[in-house]
Amino acid sequence: MTNAIETWDLCYRAGKTFELRDLALKVREGSIYGFLGPNGAGKTTTIKLLMGMLRPDSGQIGVLGGKVPRDMSRILAEVGYVPERPHLYPFLTVEQAINFHAAFFAGFDMPYAAELLDSFNLPREHRLSALSKGEMGKLHMLLVLAQRPRLLVLDEPTDGLDPVVRRDVLSALLDFCSQGSATVFISSHLVHELERICDWVGVLDRGRLVAELPMHAFKSGIKRIRVENPPSLIGDTPFVLVARETTTMDEIWVVRGWQPPMVQWFEGTGAHVKEIVDLDLEEGFVELLRAARVPAA
Amino acid sequence: MFRQVLTQQWVSLRSAVLVFVVISFAVPLLTVVYGGGLNAGDLARVAQWLDSSERIGLLIPGIALLLGVVFGLGVWAPDQVGKHVYSLALPVPRWRYALLRFGAGTVLLAAPVAALGLGSFVAAWAVTLPTGLHAYPAQLTFRFALASLVCFAMVFALASATKRVALWLLGGIGGVLLADLLLSAFGSDAEVTAKVITALVTFPGPLSILTGRWALFDV
Repeated sequence: MTNAIETWDLCYRAGKTFELRDLALKVREGSIYGFLGPNGAGKTTTIKLLMGMLRPDSGQIGVLGGKVPRDMSRILAEVGYVPERPHLYPFLTVEQAINFHAAFFAGFDMPYAAELLDSFNLPREHRLSALSKGEMGKLHMLLVLAQRPRLLVLDEPTDGLDPVVRRDVLSALLDFCSQGSATVFISSHLVHELERICDWVGVLDRGRLVAELPMHAFKSGIKRIRVENPPSLIGDTPFVLVARETTTMDEIWVVRGWQPPMVQWFEGTGAHVKEIVDLDLEEGFVELLRAARVPAA
Repeated sequence: MFRQVLTQQWVSLRSAVLVFVVISFAVPLLTVVYGGGLNAGDLARVAQWLDSSERIGLLIPGIALLLGVVFGLGVWAPDQVGKHVYSLALPVPRWRYALLRFGAGTVLLAAPVAALGLGSFVAAWAVTLPTGLHAYPAQLTFRFALASLVCFAMVFALASATKRVALWLLGGIGGVLLADLLLSAFGSDAEVTAKVITALVTFPGPLSILTGRWALFDV
């Protein structure tokens, strides 16, 4: 399986406070990759690096088999990009904006654009300056989907949109994905949104990639376990220990990859499992970030 | 691709284009208004008319300069508002994108130039010139076209530059002004600013095209 996006030891510093460190992303071709992270984690900066809009301090970036920025024109011809703050020329009408965009992409599918125009209920003759935020979001999605790209890079495409528009945009995205084998790289801080559509997830926090795994592995078996008399030293565990927190009475462990028979591992160490609580993806995400932020001893 | 860029620039700049078309057409006609009822025998009146014609002609390089500034900034303005994010995601090399914008801007520039040409020919046709005086509508139009293009190209290049380059330029201008101030404070008559301006507006300075006589009618 080849990777649609791959970065090697990518570093980028912006000012004195933010730094992207040794980022090693691997986005498999054909996957829908959710790029999760809190605000300010570096998601948009990473995307701008992938799109050749920023130059890394060190490291390498590969997109669709080409090197960034060397092969940028060829890469961009196959990439549909929706930026965090979409900016199209506001004095153009919807139709003119579509024609303008289409002129730059050889594979632009005009009948599909017309189909999306109808399904999104966008008025062709309206100027973009007169469109609502939701309509602008839909128009930008229309433009990139009609490009028929091999890779879609979406930077918080539904941020600030109302639930109805958000559903329309995500439905169109899923429809598009079902028609072919495009790779989607979608960043968001809305965990539940990505949970519904992604099959891979990468979690970025403070410029570091703290996890990258298939969504099912991320979702399944995230538990919060209350442990009485826990072992002080932990050797090999059959699960992934994400976080460990001491309370007055016992310890709270957050683990990933949990299976019920694993309770025997605790018994073997002389500990006792008092309670096992299922965590949803958002809670798991929060625990993952908490664990990543614990300073190294 | 070029057609779409041209359409986009036309939609964005059409008000400015129309204003410049009207002004460019009107200015040569102003010369005729001043030239009504010329009598070849009345030498004093002919001289006065030529003087007026020359003064009105000074408006033409002013229009060319203004045209260059408005168009040079205007063709990049829509991209600058969005910090070039949209245009940078288009699959064309940056130099080619700049060339498309420059080409489309030049085509739009042709409208005021054509208007000035038309105005000049109409003015030349409308007035009966005394012996020894000639109209130069084609030459004036060609010079206006060249001056507009030079001004447009200069402002276009500056507007397309990065913030860093813009800061260097502003720093350079500030440096010249500061040097002038310091030198005059120490009693020197070096006049750096005047020398820089002179270098720009005298041949082979890029703005020398704007200087000299701009009269539609001359001997």
